[in-house]
Amino acid sequence: MIASIHLLEEQFAARPAAKAWFDTATADTGLASSSTFDDERFLLVFSSATRRLGKAAFAPSEAERERLRAQGIHWQVETWGLDELGRAVLLAHAFERLPPARAAQLLENCYARADNRERQAVLRALPFLPDRSRFVPLTVEACRTSVQSIFEAIACENPFPADEFSELAFNQLVLKAFFTGVAMSRIVGLERRLNPELARMAQDYAAERRAAGRSVPADIDAVTRPQRNGK
Amino acid sequence: MKLFDPHIHMTSRTTDDYKAMAAAGIRALIEPAFWLGQPRTHVGTFDDYFAALVGWERFRASQFGIKHYCTIALNPKEANNPKIAQGVLDLMPRYLEKDGVVAVGEIGFDDQTAEEEKYFALQLELAKQFDLPVLVHTPHRDKKRGTERSLALVREQRFPEERVLIDHNNEETLPLVLATGCFAGHSIYPDTKMDELRMVALVKKYGSDRILINSAADWGVSDPLKVPKTVAEMRKAGIADRDIQKIAWTNPIAFFGQTGRIDHAELDGAHYDQSELWEGNSVLRGQAPEKR
Repeated sequence: MIASIHLLEEQFAARPAAKAWFDTATADTGLASSSTFDDERFLLVFSSATRRLGKAAFAPSEAERERLRAQGIHWQVETWGLDELGRAVLLAHAFERLPPARAAQLLENCYARADNRERQAVLRALPFLPDRSRFVPLTVEACRTSVQSIFEAIACENPFPADEFSELAFNQLVLKAFFTGVAMSRIVGLERRLNPELARMAQDYAAERRAAGRSVPADIDAVTRPQRNGK
Repeated sequence: MKLFDPHIHMTSRTTDDYKAMAAAGIRALIEPAFWLGQPRTHVGTFDDYFAALVGWERFRASQFGIKHYCTIALNPKEANNPKIAQGVLDLMPRYLEKDGVVAVGEIGFDDQTAEEEKYFALQLELAKQFDLPVLVHTPHRDKKRGTERSLALVREQRFPEERVLIDHNNEETLPLVLATGCFAGHSIYPDTKMDELRMVALVKKYGSDRILINSAADWGVSDPLKVPKTVAEMRKAGIADRDIQKIAWTNPIAFFGQTGRIDHAELDGAHYDQSELWEGNSVLRGQAPEKR
């Protein structure tokens, strides 16, 4: 998967300011050279991305999109902010450079004291990182957030939950999506993770809404319709 | 009529709220320990939080003539964090003997994981050990199943049902709770959970025994005056004063009074003096202190 993040990184080429930030960042943190890697410096640079790169969507061209799809990135990344792109690429570089345990600790540190946009970037970067299943606890915890943009960063346009979550965690994510008004069409891989327990939970949810005199989500059929057992 | 809000997170509210609540007749409240909107990363932050619940927040409430009690627990969401869960449980005994602590809570289920069940059961044990009732949160998602599992766990653990308050009920869970010996709480919310008119319908159908109402007001969209507002709707709908009194005053006192830590004489007094200080701090910012 690391290969595709380099593809994302190419997006910097057409944006001189972003490119300059990234080159400085990799030099400052010790990512670029064989010099010592500086964790504290990395945390600072990681945080600086929004101020330096801005939040505008990086919006690739149609040709670039086609290349992304060819690399297996079939979910939407074009709405990422440039800052999120910068952070994701930075993390991917750290994962290439550092031993796995240290890289994982660095990511945990980025997340622990992150502001909301930093958390979004970490969650969106995860599908591009190696051995990503070790981040299941972090992402399940992320689903417990009350910050909608953070919940959507993991639940929507992100293949991580369908690829990695247990059935219980995945079902809870889907229910939370209903609760917070997120369209089922935004959950990547939903179809493949449908299961009878999820159908039961969604039916109970619909019954509870009706008993309270409230509306039922229009796309609830996406998970309640009959299906085969198992994953 | 004197009113009791048995579930409200005042740490997230302002002195304007305290003033409005006192003016609307609220004389006592319970602040359950809960989650602060984003996950905590150290056990030490729970220590300070619990200390504030039995200290500074109690004092703040007293400055508006409101008696403040609290419940102490590791909440269901954070029971899933292995970095803090056991550490918080180890802290709890220090607080459970304290005067203003009237239950272990909020415990219960959120995502309904194995970890949540483990700490739910462990905290039922703690409550037994400290001779306290429990306040049980029911989940937003998959609520009916979560309520059934909570009631089953209470039974398995042989925890006395009359010492269990199952909270955040709705049309589907209330009959399940009333079929046991547990008390049933209802959180009246602007958009989610339960609203005033649905609550009126439930009281008409099920009566006032073991039924409580609360605002569950916190840092989210919520309303600290939902208890008085629901009382007004119950009156308008012709529900007898005797029943309203039970729901909004007597039942919470009966339930949490099982600790022996609610002093009826003190509740009747409800006097206050804003010239008092807490560790040298006052709630005033230059205003003249009021007294009642």
